[in-house]
Amino acid sequence: MPEIALTAPMARIRRIPGVAMMLIALVAGFAATSPGFLTVPNLSNVLVQSTVLLLLALPMTLIIMTEGLDLSMGAVLTLTSLVVALVTLATGSVLLGLLAACAVGTLFGIMNGWLVAILGIPPFVATLGTLGMAQGLSLIVSDGQSVVGMPVAIQKIYSGMLAAVPLPILMAIAAYAAFHLLLYYTRLGTFVFALGGNRDALRFAGVKVERMLIVVYAIGGAMAGLAGVLMTARMNAGHPTAGLGLEFDAIAAVAVGGTSFERGNGWLLGTLLGVLTVGVLRNGLNLLAIPSSVQVSCVGVLVIMALFFDGLRSRT
Amino acid sequence: MTDTTKILPGRAGGLHISADVLQLAYRLLAALLICVLLSLLTDSFLSLNNILNVLRQASLMFFVAAGLTLVVLTAGLDLSIGANVGLTACLAGTVIHVTGSPTLGVLVGIGVGAVIGLANGIMVTALRIPSFIATYGMLWILQGVAYWYMAGETIHGFPPAFRQLGSGYFLGLPIPVYLLVIFLAIGTVLAQRTTWGQEIYAIGANPVAARLSGIPVAARLLLVYTVSGTMAGLASIIFLARLNSAEADIGESLTLPAIASVLIGGTSLFGGVGTVFGTFIGALILTLVLNGMNLLQISASWQPLVTGAIVILAVWLDRMTRRRAF
Amino acid sequence: MNAIMPLPAAAEAAPLFELRGISKSFPGVKALDDVSFAIWPGEVHMLLGENGAGKSSLMKVLCGAYTADGGEFFLDGRKVEMSSAADARKLGISVIFQEFSLVPYLDIAQNIYLGREPKGWMPGTIDRSKILRDARALLATIGFDIDPSTPVHTLGVAQQQMVEIAKALSQDARILVMDEPTAALSDRETELLFAMIAQLKAKGVAIVYISHRMAEVFSLGDRITVLRDGKKVAEAMPGQSSPDELIRLMVGRNVDTSYPRNFASEPGPVVLEVSNVSAANGIRDIDLVVRAGEIVGLCGLVGSGRTEVARAIFGADATTAGEIRIDGQLRSGGPDRASRMGIALIPESRKAEGLALIRSVGDNLVVAALQKLFPRGLFVPQRARQESGGLVKQLRVATPSTKQPVGLLSGGNQQKVVIGKWLAAGARVFIFDEPTRGIDVGAKAEIFALIDGLVARGAAVLMISSEQAEIVHVCDRAYVMRDGGIVGELSREQLSEENIVRMGMHYA
Repeated sequence: MPEIALTAPMARIRRIPGVAMMLIALVAGFAATSPGFLTVPNLSNVLVQSTVLLLLALPMTLIIMTEGLDLSMGAVLTLTSLVVALVTLATGSVLLGLLAACAVGTLFGIMNGWLVAILGIPPFVATLGTLGMAQGLSLIVSDGQSVVGMPVAIQKIYSGMLAAVPLPILMAIAAYAAFHLLLYYTRLGTFVFALGGNRDALRFAGVKVERMLIVVYAIGGAMAGLAGVLMTARMNAGHPTAGLGLEFDAIAAVAVGGTSFERGNGWLLGTLLGVLTVGVLRNGLNLLAIPSSVQVSCVGVLVIMALFFDGLRSRT
Repeated sequence: MTDTTKILPGRAGGLHISADVLQLAYRLLAALLICVLLSLLTDSFLSLNNILNVLRQASLMFFVAAGLTLVVLTAGLDLSIGANVGLTACLAGTVIHVTGSPTLGVLVGIGVGAVIGLANGIMVTALRIPSFIATYGMLWILQGVAYWYMAGETIHGFPPAFRQLGSGYFLGLPIPVYLLVIFLAIGTVLAQRTTWGQEIYAIGANPVAARLSGIPVAARLLLVYTVSGTMAGLASIIFLARLNSAEADIGESLTLPAIASVLIGGTSLFGGVGTVFGTFIGALILTLVLNGMNLLQISASWQPLVTGAIVILAVWLDRMTRRRAF
Repeated sequence: MNAIMPLPAAAEAAPLFELRGISKSFPGVKALDDVSFAIWPGEVHMLLGENGAGKSSLMKVLCGAYTADGGEFFLDGRKVEMSSAADARKLGISVIFQEFSLVPYLDIAQNIYLGREPKGWMPGTIDRSKILRDARALLATIGFDIDPSTPVHTLGVAQQQMVEIAKALSQDARILVMDEPTAALSDRETELLFAMIAQLKAKGVAIVYISHRMAEVFSLGDRITVLRDGKKVAEAMPGQSSPDELIRLMVGRNVDTSYPRNFASEPGPVVLEVSNVSAANGIRDIDLVVRAGEIVGLCGLVGSGRTEVARAIFGADATTAGEIRIDGQLRSGGPDRASRMGIALIPESRKAEGLALIRSVGDNLVVAALQKLFPRGLFVPQRARQESGGLVKQLRVATPSTKQPVGLLSGGNQQKVVIGKWLAAGARVFIFDEPTRGIDVGAKAEIFALIDGLVARGAAVLMISSEQAEIVHVCDRAYVMRDGGIVGELSREQLSEENIVRMGMHYA
């Protein structure tokens, strides 16, 4: 540990290079190899498509900061995307569908939190289990079929615009602002740092640690619900396997963005950059006609690299 | 809590049943109970056909989970075995299909599985990445490669002799059951009858003490992941023989049941406790439950949910029993 | 309890805080025995004592981590309840431990007010400007000039300590308990700390200060209390005592353990030779030798680096300089190589580092001997049972069978299993780190008999112990450590408890 106190801005600058460099490198690389990459329509496409991922990656950042993990987010997203479709179809009200989706998502989040905080089950196993449960429920409620025929209004959520800005981007900005406020200006946010950095100090300060953990996972579930709504809006249908595996991209975005898996060190802006990095990576590989399967492998390699460097950093 | 030796009730001078054997007995009993229950609830459970089917399914599940048991014994996890089986099956399947030689296919299967296992081992020991996240990343990498390699196609049609391995019968029993016995033997010998196995148990029970007792922990862990990968490679061959085809997504649905089998079988996530035979019983119990659901006409969509719930239950029980430790 | 010096006549004000007749027992050991102790506002009260004298137990009682079995507490002359951390906080007692309770990635202000953040404009939010303002004001009162929005993980140890003190003050602490605060500080940082303490004194805050540095004790202390074996043996004023006097009081007790040791034979050739060894764990330029048939002691205060030397010799921690030789052969690599060369480490925390508690006695006994017993890699349970059964008999381990989980054994028997593990492995150099910690008197004698047996058969033993009596009675000679280096060697004739303590403390 340095003997001299570094001032806060200096410490942050040290971190920017990692993920920003990667982003810049990817943008430069793809711009060079694909003529269609660096165009306004393509880039705005990347932005809009990244919003679903951002909605997952923001709460995932908080969860990872508490030294936890939520592997069920993709499956919960899938389930809630079906829920909003089914409820909207049944009641004709998009609003009810939205509320139902968020409720289901929050419920799963609370369950995750309960398993981890109260029963003491390691997060990856607990959320692996709930992943299975959500996946199963998705198949059951949809009977294996896509859900179509919802009111046109639902599509507007994804394709609509406000003051020439696509609605999803506004949602993303709002979500980011909300999480920024949460993490840096609320008690819960302070506690998130402590849950990962020194849980005993928090307990000693008289805070109910278990309750806070459950809230963090519940937020993850709620956001998965919101993301599910967005996804259904994008596809104009509810699909029983739509979001499976998205949690991996979310974890990748968080890891690449510099949030470490231990010690309660998190960086929201890094997650944002990480989401963009993953989005750019996928988009660029798409333009190069590289199949989605290989894209997934590339993301995997990216995660391992990020973890390796994170491990190196924590040992210096 | 005085400083004296605690004597467990009923042990002094009596029959020393080791804790492991007791745990296995309980689980066998559970399996038996499920059998009884199912034979009462349905007509078709006790038919020869169904029982052989259950045995075959359980065997297949066990093959994937056998190597995983060794990893979990060290308090680690290998989330990539399903994807390992999937990719290896595709590669080995291609080789068999192209060369017509099952032997070559087996060699490729073992080789690829071993390389994947080794890569996992390197990430965990040399790169010091926690095993669950390293193998989770590997899972996606392998899956991606498998999808890219197969490009949506399926490999069909293997030599009939080869297919016997998965679908054939010998003396009335499905061949996989014989293979099961072989796997069980290999796994048990490795775990209980080699110094390496003893060291694995020691590492899982207390990695710090193991190191300070002169065990080269990193080297042993490297081997454990490699062995796990190799056994997954072998499992993929049997899957090929059984399914008579290879597709990119074979492995996707294998990971959760494999982990479930290991956990139900009594191997603790926290390391140092468990047996390969236990994993077989775990696979058996899981297969019985899923089989029962099928016979009771419960939609297959419920299966991942039930498996997920069982995993959580098993971990919770594990945690409770572990907690009363010293 | 003897006060060696009369207290100054009639202190005008009543003491700020007083303990009367405090006792605390654990199975097998009386940590505090009828301790009475008073502290006045604005006073720096030094607490002296050897390892195990009761200082840390007293500290834990003061902050509510331990509940006293007997005795009373008085604040401002009124009787008060003290049975939990919350109680201690309410009374205004704050302990600064050596391991800080700070959250690394939060800033100073957030750490100070963790759990008590000032409310913002909406329920659940924090008033950022207020928390920074309050923190700045607080830091100013102790003369700590730093931006409160600095993340704590960027601070050095000294500064983190200051944040801890600020945190305590923010909870209106009237009594601060500090445990060796200058241990990790440079001279300049120590000066800053002392300046801050002066400011605290001026504000009427009382400080209970545990130290092993005589210079501090005499320059900073207003009053000194000496503990020994859980009892208070003296209270003194610095102007009326001397370091020698204090050491004499810290040491010197009735020997109630018999140490079976046969000093008849001459030591054999050098088996373990450590030359100029330094390591990243903090030890510097260590030179020592151990001959066959010798028990060599390694003494010093907690934190002086003894365990680090043990670990470096065994290969558990990497060395950065120097050589370690066994019978002339260079030891390189990690614990696996060391074990094969015949070195054994019996660690201080046997449950965490020496045994696999859930495994059986038999499993634990053979775990280091697997290569030796089964060179071809095939494990034969009968052979292992034979070996472990023989060891259980030889060492007289009290266990119903070798299948018993080792976690169920008593401390003494667990220690025998750890020793047995290395006997099975054929070790010849044994490094013991606090071999009798947590073991009752009866078993202690057995352990020493075992060690005596080892050296009688030609083994070389290096023994770390915080009980000076053990060292004096059992060792052929001893090295004394301080601050990561060896400051001296005591021959058989020079071995006395006072000499050990004197060498181990800072004199200047």
